[in-house]
Amino acid sequence: MKPPAVGLARRCRSIALLAALLGAGAHADDSSSISTGDLGKVGGAEIYSRICQGCHMPGARGAVGAGHYPRLAGDPALASWQYVALTVLNGRNGMPAFGLVSDAVGPMRAVHLSDAQVADVVNYVRSNFGNRFKAGITAKQVTALPHPDAEISP
Amino acid sequence: MDTEAASPEMSRRDLLSLIGATAGAAAMYQAMSTLGFAADSPYRGPIDLTGAPSGASVLILGAGMAGMTAAYELRNAGYKVQVLEYNARPGGRNWTLRGGDRYVELGGAAQECNFDKDLYINPGPWRIPYHHRGMLNYCKKLGVPLEAFVQVNYNAYLHSSRAFGGRPQRYREIKADYQGHIAELLAKATRQNALDASVSKEDQEKLLESLRAWGALDKSFSYVASESASDRRGFKKKPGGGLTARPIPSEPIGLTDILKSNLWQGIPSGDTFDMQTALFQPVGGMGRVGEAFGRELGPMISYNAKVIDIRQETTGVTATYEDANSPGTRMTAKADWCLCTIPLPILAQIPMNVGPAMASAIAAVPYASAIKVGLQFKRRFWEEDDHIYGGITYTDLPIMNIAYPSTGYHSGGKGVLLGAYMWGLNAMELTAMTPQERVQKVVEYGSQIHPQYREEFDNGIAVAWHRAPFTMGCFGMWSAAARAKHYDDLCRIDGRIALAGEHASFLGGWQEGAVTSSLDAVGRLHERAVAQGEKS
Repeated sequence: MKPPAVGLARRCRSIALLAALLGAGAHADDSSSISTGDLGKVGGAEIYSRICQGCHMPGARGAVGAGHYPRLAGDPALASWQYVALTVLNGRNGMPAFGLVSDAVGPMRAVHLSDAQVADVVNYVRSNFGNRFKAGITAKQVTALPHPDAEISP
Repeated sequence: MDTEAASPEMSRRDLLSLIGATAGAAAMYQAMSTLGFAADSPYRGPIDLTGAPSGASVLILGAGMAGMTAAYELRNAGYKVQVLEYNARPGGRNWTLRGGDRYVELGGAAQECNFDKDLYINPGPWRIPYHHRGMLNYCKKLGVPLEAFVQVNYNAYLHSSRAFGGRPQRYREIKADYQGHIAELLAKATRQNALDASVSKEDQEKLLESLRAWGALDKSFSYVASESASDRRGFKKKPGGGLTARPIPSEPIGLTDILKSNLWQGIPSGDTFDMQTALFQPVGGMGRVGEAFGRELGPMISYNAKVIDIRQETTGVTATYEDANSPGTRMTAKADWCLCTIPLPILAQIPMNVGPAMASAIAAVPYASAIKVGLQFKRRFWEEDDHIYGGITYTDLPIMNIAYPSTGYHSGGKGVLLGAYMWGLNAMELTAMTPQERVQKVVEYGSQIHPQYREEFDNGIAVAWHRAPFTMGCFGMWSAAARAKHYDDLCRIDGRIALAGEHASFLGGWQEGAVTSSLDAVGRLHERAVAQGEKS
């Protein structure tokens, strides 16, 4: 389920969408060039240390405040690779989605990971930090999972 | 949103597509947002809550702008009000870091703010547009003095690391030259009759006249080095007095260079409705508003109260909470009604018996990643060397913004500026670093724009919003699809519980969203309370 090539109509819609996002639902941010981009082709270990550990913390030890970021080290929920991959793709509660189609990435101030990168970071988390699950998830398996809405209705 | 009717004259859409053809889709988008599709604040003056049933009570969760707005109004209307707040201070994201403050983020990293007296940064909101009438109303009522916030500074920079050899350009020059060249192009098209189908002959004369005025064109409709162009972009040698007085016009930057640089993206920074002059900031920092609310509400607020359970029954709502400083000590607070302003990432983790519609809505909103970094320097070099007084420099570097203080001009001693205001990938990557690494990175990047950083840097403090223990993110990022599906369910009262906060508004991240959503929810709670009559 690679994001399809963006057609002209789609592009026009996304311009309208951008305007809608910043017009009807104005945001308090302020930037002339939001760099959302992607991470290039980096693998699971680097994705974890550059993105995931912002919340899940170095060593995947999690954190507790008014709420909490789950401790992924020894987390029994990791037994289901689908649960982990779906969380990365679609987000969970306040956690952003990392599987958005490319035109939604900018307006959502998000970051896009390819299916291969999602597989890689899922494998990394499930086989590190004391976790001992098999690291054999492939991009193809991730591609087969539901991704965030491709169409964003205005 | 396409509401313009077809018109024989040059329509707004025609103008947009012309700009689109000239300068690309992105410029068209900028132009569209410039033309304004924004809504005014729904604030309609002081709320009328007369007729509160005697003895009726409301429990408010969160002492941010939404919670304290509600507490203030409900108390004044005669309700019994109790507020539970996780932090040891009022305000929530309305917050100022000053010298002597200490901030511990999620994960345990602690930072001391080592700024000099009277110097500060606002890690959260930092400006109040003139049309955010709810916020302005409470500033006035609470006696919080305001001063002008400089949003657009024509002498601040637009900067691209990949254009003009990485040298920052003055906003004034990019704006004047972009506008001048576009005016010249449009004038040329008009005079070559390319617009005959869309603009009447009579209007073409007026259009040409307006283009000359708008773009500072010469008498042959060209944008060239001239006194009129220099009146916009600045002179090579400025006019002065005496024998050395004669000005020398400056040379405009070519259109191709401007288009290639992408710096035109920064031109409309003050044109969006939310950023239009006048904007304000509280004297002494945005946190003055929360502090004033906190003083006003006094003992109604219980601090260090970590809510761990919210339960409603037919007769009322009970919140169970812990002392955040000594986990395990359980207390309860009970009232007839509950206004919950807890940020959604946290609320989603608190057991609360609401219906599936509200519960799904609470789980449907990811929070934006954002970072602000305050840097103290040994002197105000941006004023002394660069003649920048307030305002914002925009850059394609990961720091995105450098914002100069709109206060304390010409004061001696040290100065603090906002060294970064970051979003998206850049913010996430810096969040993953230690606070010290973040500050160091921001100083490195900023020195590409202001080389003085290297000599003058003193100390800094970095707030990464996903590490904020009381929000776990900066603000709710509603996708259009999530908004269509869940927004009303988030705002509707469920039994005896209503939600409020910027997340329950169309003003994402703005304090006005918190205030107006709160007043809206309070009004509806009041109606229910009145309908139920005297407390049973």
